[in-house]
Amino acid sequence: MTPSLVNTLLMLPALLLLAIVFAWPLLDSAWLSTQASSVLTGLSPIANHGANWQRLLGDTRFWQDAAVTLRFALVSVGLELLLGLAMALLLHRPGRGRGWLRALTLLPWALPTTVLALGWRWIYNDPYGPLNAILRAFGAAPYGFLTTPASTWLFTVLADVWKTTPFVALLLLAGLQSIPAELEESLVLEGASPGQILRRLTLPLLKPWISLALLFRLAQALGVFDLVQVLTRVGPAGSTESLALYAYLNAMRFLDFGYSATLVIATFLLLVVLTVLGWLLLRRRALEPSR
Amino acid sequence: MIDAMPVLPSPAPGLRIEGLSRRLGERTLLADLNLAVAPGECLALLGPSGCGKTTTLRLLAGLDAASAGRILLDGRDITQQSAGERRVAMVFQSYALYPHLSVADNLALGLRIRGMAPKEREGRIAAVLELLQLGELRLRRPAQLSGGQRQRVALARALLRQPRLVLLDEPMSNLDAQLREELRPELRRLLCGGDQPVVYVTHDQQEAMGMADRIAVLRDGALQQVGSARELYERPANRFVAAFLGRPAINLLPAQGQRQLGLRPEHLQPVLHGGIAARLQRREWWGNQQLLWLETAQGDLRMLVAADQSLPEQLQLGWRPEHELWFDSHSGERLAAP
Repeated sequence: MTPSLVNTLLMLPALLLLAIVFAWPLLDSAWLSTQASSVLTGLSPIANHGANWQRLLGDTRFWQDAAVTLRFALVSVGLELLLGLAMALLLHRPGRGRGWLRALTLLPWALPTTVLALGWRWIYNDPYGPLNAILRAFGAAPYGFLTTPASTWLFTVLADVWKTTPFVALLLLAGLQSIPAELEESLVLEGASPGQILRRLTLPLLKPWISLALLFRLAQALGVFDLVQVLTRVGPAGSTESLALYAYLNAMRFLDFGYSATLVIATFLLLVVLTVLGWLLLRRRALEPSR
Repeated sequence: MIDAMPVLPSPAPGLRIEGLSRRLGERTLLADLNLAVAPGECLALLGPSGCGKTTTLRLLAGLDAASAGRILLDGRDITQQSAGERRVAMVFQSYALYPHLSVADNLALGLRIRGMAPKEREGRIAAVLELLQLGELRLRRPAQLSGGQRQRVALARALLRQPRLVLLDEPMSNLDAQLREELRPELRRLLCGGDQPVVYVTHDQQEAMGMADRIAVLRDGALQQVGSARELYERPANRFVAAFLGRPAINLLPAQGQRQLGLRPEHLQPVLHGGIAARLQRREWWGNQQLLWLETAQGDLRMLVAADQSLPEQLQLGWRPEHELWFDSHSGERLAAP
């Protein structure tokens, strides 16, 4: 056997696995999105010549969910990056017990989302939750955190930020640790202030790590499902209905598998387009000579 | 109220280090260092790793805080000044070039931070690029430069600051041996003999002897001896200095009365009568010289002779009395000849 044939054979199991768990479901969903498959068809697929896709284009609920998902992803990832950077800078400073502190800050990220979502649901509970207990202690009236569309959306974002900021911080911390200490010391000798060091040295060198965190988190946040499913479901007036949740509802509640597959594929395409766009943008920026 | 400034003696120019110490918990990294470096003088801090030479450099730069002692630069006490205020330039072992910036921007960043006007800045950068023949490389990134070019950029960046003190931390240890030799005169031409004192850290005795006007040998945070290369070589204060300077290292023979006799390999010679009996064991031929490994009743010896000298298997070894160096075998201090 030639070496290249051996190489191909050795890669075959991995490729097969990828095909089974990734390519096949994707292609199957893509095929299903061209079929009517619901209780009306006795759950057996019947070709409907793009009717699902036509329905999608005119589905205001889909467009609203797309907007909700996009806004959720952009705002929560933006906040996570800012807070994660601050956290990473703090954790990077030398000091006693830093190892423990790092482990501690990772805790929210290590928790299963379902558990933390249940926790936050209790924290936001009106009127018995801890937040309302604090409000009461200050003599304020209890607040319905998850009652209006705007506040529900906001507090869902905060719960997500709480969970995933440590992940961003960890990535950026790894980036900070890859920057040699002499670079900062050299700038200190030039008389640079901490702010100047951050702007002139740390952030430019952290750029690849920031891009990485951004892409990971964006891809995750655009597919948000478990958090909203447990914390708020669709939320008041659909304020927290993500695309993934809508696809889930179509399949599991309305038993419309054809349309659910269409939503899944549409979400997938949106995700691919956005991440590739983001990646291209960041990659070009990172290669540009900075001034 | 102070109505008149006290009249001070005219400030001593150059660098003065008085009783400088640094302790970290239980460990003493540097103990009571006293040194003076004149303007334009190049002082090498020499010693094995962990001897306190880099600690000293970082204290001078203001990157670490002293536990005790004072640093005076041109008569002014700078011990409490921050690193940025000291106008000290440092060339790091890794060069510490900013990887995301071009050569020109690497040079410009410090001046930008100091708020220098663009016109003056560009002028200064052009001058230093010219001086170091880096003009063609001005738009390259550090990753696109060779080791020697990086070192020149680091040097350019240090000179650009017009520092009052120049510190170099093993600036040549990342270069190959040939380049190191070539760069020594250039480094001396660029750095030494100006207005500012130069402190040069190295663990390479040859580099210290080739670069520096004077050498300070450190061991375990304590200064062993300071002087010219010749003083240190010919009149070492103790066994450590004697062994650290000179390659191949000095031979140490046990002698009577808690003494050791130190003999440099090049000072041994074959004699016809007297001396000590030796047997030739191994020969390293170096082209310009040869190193002989000899076995004697007192222990093994190294002898350096001319490359073309042929010697018998069995021989008698002798030396001139003025080449003898005597040490106390316990303390290692050098003793007067008996």
